[in-house]
Amino acid sequence: MDALLPALGNVFLPAALLTLLVGTLAGVVIGSLPGLSSTMGVALCIPITFNMPPDLALILLGAVYVSSVYGGSVAAILLRTPGTDASIATTFDGYPLAAAGRGGEALGIATIASLIGGIFSVIVLLVIAPPLSTIALAFGPQEYTLLAIFGLVTIIGVASERPLKGMLTAAMGLVLACVGLDAFTGIQRFTFGQSELFDGVPLLPALIGLFSVSQAFNLSIPAGGGILNDQSQPLQGRRLPPWQSIRRCFRTIMRSSVIGSIIGILPGAGTSIASFISYNEARRHSATPERFGKGEIEGVAASESANNAVTGGTLIPTLTLGIPGNAVTAVFVGGLTIHGMIPGPSLFTDHAETTYTLILSLLLANLLFAALGLWLCRYLIVITRVPGPVLGPMILIFSVIGTYALRNEIFDVWLTIAFGVIGYFMERWRYPAAPLVIALILGPILEVNFRRSMQISHWDLSTFFTRPLSLALCLLVIVALAYPLWSRWRRRKTALN
Amino acid sequence: MVGKQRITQWFPLTAMAALISVGTATTTLAADYPEKPIQLIVSYGEGGSTDTMARIFAKYAEDVIGERMVVVNKPGAGGELGWVHLANAEPDGYTIGLINSPVVEVYPFTREDTVGYEYEAIRPLANVVTDPGILAVDADSPYQDLDAFVTAAQDDPDSITVSHEGVGGDDHLAAINFAKEANLDLNFVTFNGNAEATAALLGGHITAFEGNMSEAASQVQEGEIRALAVWSDERMDAIPDVPTGKEQGYDVEAAASRGFAVPADVPQDIYDKLLDVMQEVIEDPEFRDEMAALNMPVNPIYGQDYADFLDASHERLKALWEEDPWIDAE
Repeated sequence: MDALLPALGNVFLPAALLTLLVGTLAGVVIGSLPGLSSTMGVALCIPITFNMPPDLALILLGAVYVSSVYGGSVAAILLRTPGTDASIATTFDGYPLAAAGRGGEALGIATIASLIGGIFSVIVLLVIAPPLSTIALAFGPQEYTLLAIFGLVTIIGVASERPLKGMLTAAMGLVLACVGLDAFTGIQRFTFGQSELFDGVPLLPALIGLFSVSQAFNLSIPAGGGILNDQSQPLQGRRLPPWQSIRRCFRTIMRSSVIGSIIGILPGAGTSIASFISYNEARRHSATPERFGKGEIEGVAASESANNAVTGGTLIPTLTLGIPGNAVTAVFVGGLTIHGMIPGPSLFTDHAETTYTLILSLLLANLLFAALGLWLCRYLIVITRVPGPVLGPMILIFSVIGTYALRNEIFDVWLTIAFGVIGYFMERWRYPAAPLVIALILGPILEVNFRRSMQISHWDLSTFFTRPLSLALCLLVIVALAYPLWSRWRRRKTALN
Repeated sequence: MVGKQRITQWFPLTAMAALISVGTATTTLAADYPEKPIQLIVSYGEGGSTDTMARIFAKYAEDVIGERMVVVNKPGAGGELGWVHLANAEPDGYTIGLINSPVVEVYPFTREDTVGYEYEAIRPLANVVTDPGILAVDADSPYQDLDAFVTAAQDDPDSITVSHEGVGGDDHLAAINFAKEANLDLNFVTFNGNAEATAALLGGHITAFEGNMSEAASQVQEGEIRALAVWSDERMDAIPDVPTGKEQGYDVEAAASRGFAVPADVPQDIYDKLLDVMQEVIEDPEFRDEMAALNMPVNPIYGQDYADFLDASHERLKALWEEDPWIDAE
């Protein structure tokens, strides 16, 4: 902690502030373009950081990371084109709000929620990173298995409007999750000899296809219409969301910030689980759960505070143990090692000044993207007025660029377009796409960890109930499943009385 | 109409002219090589150890060769996607790539039916890093050395679990090799990459972890994990207290090697020029220092020697595969 003061000085050097500003701007832009993800943003910066001093390099990477996660909310709310899986849950309520002309309000609350979530997790990172990193280690394969099941339970909430169709698309997602080389035996499953499918159906092409490309088709095909349901409607473009909506969402934001920070710490979980679980919890605690999915501001707040809280969380195991918390921080580790800083405990001893500079700059980056977001808010919502046939092709172009850039594979572009066509018809026939994507994300986590648990326990299923943490997660799953039934039973009983 | 006719008339002629000019361009290529940026294909993602090495190498190579080296990441299928691109690239010296042994020489027979490149289609240039395998346990583990571990594994095989990072990868092959040498039946637990496996080891969810020295060295130095053996010929500078397998009576050598290669048909003079560049960079003490700071042991093997090295490994692993395949494709 002695390094904190010199680090504070470093952050406020002109070069550092300029880097921070550039990084934040770049992050917000990359994040808010449909089809571009934060992993890509950070990866794009790696070659640039190469010739920079380590302090500045880390400030740039950190700023791009946190602000691109925030930027994702813009595309998710206004266009329903999440560039990363982290902001899928934001679309559920954000987009209906934007379509109803309340995009400004949704962006405002997303900004405030992202800010609080982000700051919360950075403070956690700053103050109690080393003890918290033990959480990353306490989770073994058994716990990850149950966490994945807990994540899958959220599909019930997401698909509650059309349970049967939702279960069907979730099943489709699980089947797609089986594609690829079986990591345990090396056998190919449904790859049709295509080596591009060896790692499974790549998530981002599927996600961008189902959400962004199908949205591009949607907007391009009917003549005229844009995102707003009623084009003549005035757009409200306040800068700050009204105090009462912030207050109403405050509990949700704090709960989601805690969930996001904890799940961020778990290296095998991923950002999207945090936002799905937070969304589901917000819905479960809400007095009006039926409004979720139709434009409930709390839904946006839950997802956005969770995904930004993940940013600080993922850096905890990355910096303290050298174990990256997700795909973005894995790229981050590369950025660190290029500068001769090997992530691990030595970061807080030998390189403490640089490490604290990074952490402090993250605080500033959070403030900066929030200020930027609130300022840009009223200009951004004009997008919802742009005619669909103009917007559609633009989304398509970014989606193609974004998916190609992921691993420079043209195969991924075709896959994205195919998923776009599938997504378009799924939407027309009212099959929800989110359960498919959730299952596609969680399926491999579930399978791999279940099989690991079995390798460790020699096929003894009781291993899930004999470990305290995994038993606790079992109970959580049961509560999550039983709670809706119980509350329905209670409602019916009070109605009878 | 007239215009269109004219184009069709002239087309064969212009096409021929274009072909001739391309032809002459290739013959004069070597003298001016390079006259545009060189693409460096990395078959793994940004930030990984292969990527980091490639980018540091490119920084030095740019100064030597006088052109930009653009790192292009083509991750996927355990490296295969990148090598397919490398093998099928225009053999003009403007596309070079990193190859990772032993996986690059293994896929052509383990994935015989589907693999997108031939082993012979890639011509090795120079090896840069040879990163030996290590077997490590948590610092709190009761096993102080390899013998104690082996004894425990013989007495109660079910109590021991060993991680590796994917079937057919270098860690898996190293672990198979060790199990065979020590006559053990090890319970493998499969992980995706180093991060998850390290977390599982530190959290006490597995007994031991088979990985690469460079990725685990800092944790060994910090005393968080204990390396029981390093599968190299001699002890490693980064972890000098860790004995080799051979010192403890287990004749196991296993490593992941990273080096450069070009498409097989690259003209010999361009190949020679690239080889000179490799040599100059790899012998540069500053480059060596940067590699040492990352715990990446430099092991220069050039030209034909490198090809022979890979061929030998190819033959050896193919024999091992034919005897007892590690992928059971019924």
